Amino acid sequence: MQRDVGSLPLAPALRARLIAAGFQTAQELLETGPCGLSKEIGISKEEALEALQVVRQECHGGAAGTAGGSGATRKCTALELLEEEQAQGFIITFCSALDNILGGGVQLTKITEICGAPGVGKTQLCMQLAVDVQIPECFGGVAGEAVFIDTEGSFMVERVADIATACVQHCQLIAEAHQEEDHLKALEMFSLESILSHIYYFRCRDYIELLAQVYLLPDFLSEHSKVRLVVVDGIAFPFRHDFEDLSLRTRLLNGLAQQLIIIANDHKSAVVLTNQMTTRIGQSQSTLVPALGESWGHAATVRLIFHWDNSQRAGPWRMILEAQKNEDNPSRNSWQRYTNHRVRRSQPYHITLHILASWSPLSKCESCGTFIK
Amino acid sequence: MAAKKLRRARLSQELCERLSRHQITTCQDFLCLSLLELMKVTGQSYYDVQKLLRKVSQACAPKMQTAYEMKLRKSVNPSSAFLSTTLHSLDKVLHGGVPCGSLTEITSPPGCGKTQFCIMVSVLATLPVSMGGLGGTVIYIDTESAFSAERLIEIAGNRFPTYFDSDEKLFCMTRSIHLYRELTCGSVLKRIMSLEEEIISKKVKLIVIDSVASVVRKEFDTRLQGNLAERSNFLARGASVLKYLAEEFSIPVILTNQITTSLSNGFPIQADLVSPADDLSLSEAGIFSPEGNSKSCLKPSMNYVVSPERHLEFSLGR
Repeated sequence: MQRDVGSLPLAPALRARLIAAGFQTAQELLETGPCGLSKEIGISKEEALEALQVVRQECHGGAAGTAGGSGATRKCTALELLEEEQAQGFIITFCSALDNILGGGVQLTKITEICGAPGVGKTQLCMQLAVDVQIPECFGGVAGEAVFIDTEGSFMVERVADIATACVQHCQLIAEAHQEEDHLKALEMFSLESILSHIYYFRCRDYIELLAQVYLLPDFLSEHSKVRLVVVDGIAFPFRHDFEDLSLRTRLLNGLAQQLIIIANDHKSAVVLTNQMTTRIGQSQSTLVPALGESWGHAATVRLIFHWDNSQRAGPWRMILEAQKNEDNPSRNSWQRYTNHRVRRSQPYHITLHILASWSPLSKCESCGTFIK
Repeated sequence: MAAKKLRRARLSQELCERLSRHQITTCQDFLCLSLLELMKVTGQSYYDVQKLLRKVSQACAPKMQTAYEMKLRKSVNPSSAFLSTTLHSLDKVLHGGVPCGSLTEITSPPGCGKTQFCIMVSVLATLPVSMGGLGGTVIYIDTESAFSAERLIEIAGNRFPTYFDSDEKLFCMTRSIHLYRELTCGSVLKRIMSLEEEIISKKVKLIVIDSVASVVRKEFDTRLQGNLAERSNFLARGASVLKYLAEEFSIPVILTNQITTSLSNGFPIQADLVSPADDLSLSEAGIFSPEGNSKSCLKPSMNYVVSPERHLEFSLGR
């Protein structure tokens, strides 16, 4: 209650008047009352009442912060946080190597960034996740909905439909094997139509539309409370060209990152961003590094970088995965050679990564029926 | 969208005047400011400014659609989703042909038949819908002066002799192909920017740019400082405008690229000229590469979103 008048979120002109009139703390304002305030400063009674309501909200909001609302301050012990995190589900990617590196799958309430050269499978992985987030809980999923913000226009509905069909089939196989009541009930709701209708798609053509959409996202998520995944496919694309003022770009990107972190925490959803690669010209050679600069690297909790393995000239391309900044398992910050898995056309979901692996003649894998070298 | 004036975002007249005194007239200016700056400029409280931000954002933000609605819209009109190339195996691999509404890139070393392919697809686009074409005109942006009208007529006459049986039909077809010769990056970009009105007025159904790589190669030497950034800038701007046109009008856009040898770790490898660092985020890419005598091999690869790698063989005929 001893809060300084200058720190209250009132209109600047009003604040200036209050300070000029000699008010110093919020307590003084509340004691004066609306009529007294309007006479002293020379504003109308309605304006004075509004100002007092703002002050009251601020002061009481601060005092009630420990109740753990979604306000600015939230106090809890590390044990409570641990229990929360362990109870949270992961969004699986159906690619065991990737799930292993991530410690189970894409985590909720965290930002995951996927970087890679063009064609490596970033959009594919995002589409896969948008389907996987909807898997019912009895099959090991989080039963959520997905928001897909597309800045590059590479979202293909036919492909998502293929992925969704394969996912439904996979769940049907599991249900047949186990024959449990709730599996069958969940399957009724889990169909191609329901999966597609719960992917909310926004096409942003420039950075202003992206900013506007992220400002509106909290309201959207409050209306659609089952959303558990927000994908921004191509966070780099609108910011890479046509930006002369680099400091403005950094400021806007930081603002975006903060808003996304708030959204991830408040609505318990995972945020997945895709980034492009750019060439950094070193002394003797040039290397591919994630775009948007060094400071952007701090925005994401988990950063996945996909590379093409072109050390064999005539040979097959292999995917190499590098999980950076994964705080949960520092021992996994290493190059992980991905196995050469070839996928049959009938199981497209098995793969975003699978598909981009080698194409030499193979034998069939017993467990999942995919071809292996 | 960004240049939308604040007046049209339903802000009050008095607020707009106040903002314009600070040189804030468009939504872009408004959204680029931080909350504190906005409070100073509008003179309103924190919560009111947040409400204003949401109002302006609603004026700029895109409309929401579910994936299901998108699928329904496409399934209503399936035939208009692709331009069939009349090469059976290629069409099968591409799930119907060159997709409408997205960019397609064709890459190969010189002499494989990229320009010939582009000319053939231009003829196909002018055919009526009943014959598998798009029934419209074509905009052909030529940067290498490789387009030959005689070859065009030759292809049309040999491929569809029954349709192009009279000179009249041939001339009608050639009149529907609008050729623009652009020799610099700047002029190519200017032409791309001006395409929107032409597409509407001339009922364009296909855009071909042959080739992006040659004009970039001529003007930007990536070993010089600053050129890499300018080059990416030019490519990204061109790509975003073309994508917008492709999506807005649901027409296919074809770009050609070149393959160059890049030295990496001492091993020469074949790589696209316009390549990884210039992420244009294309949806399809086809590679023609030479194998043997006058037989070329087509491999859709890399940025494929719809189909995996396949090897096809074809030869250039009459």
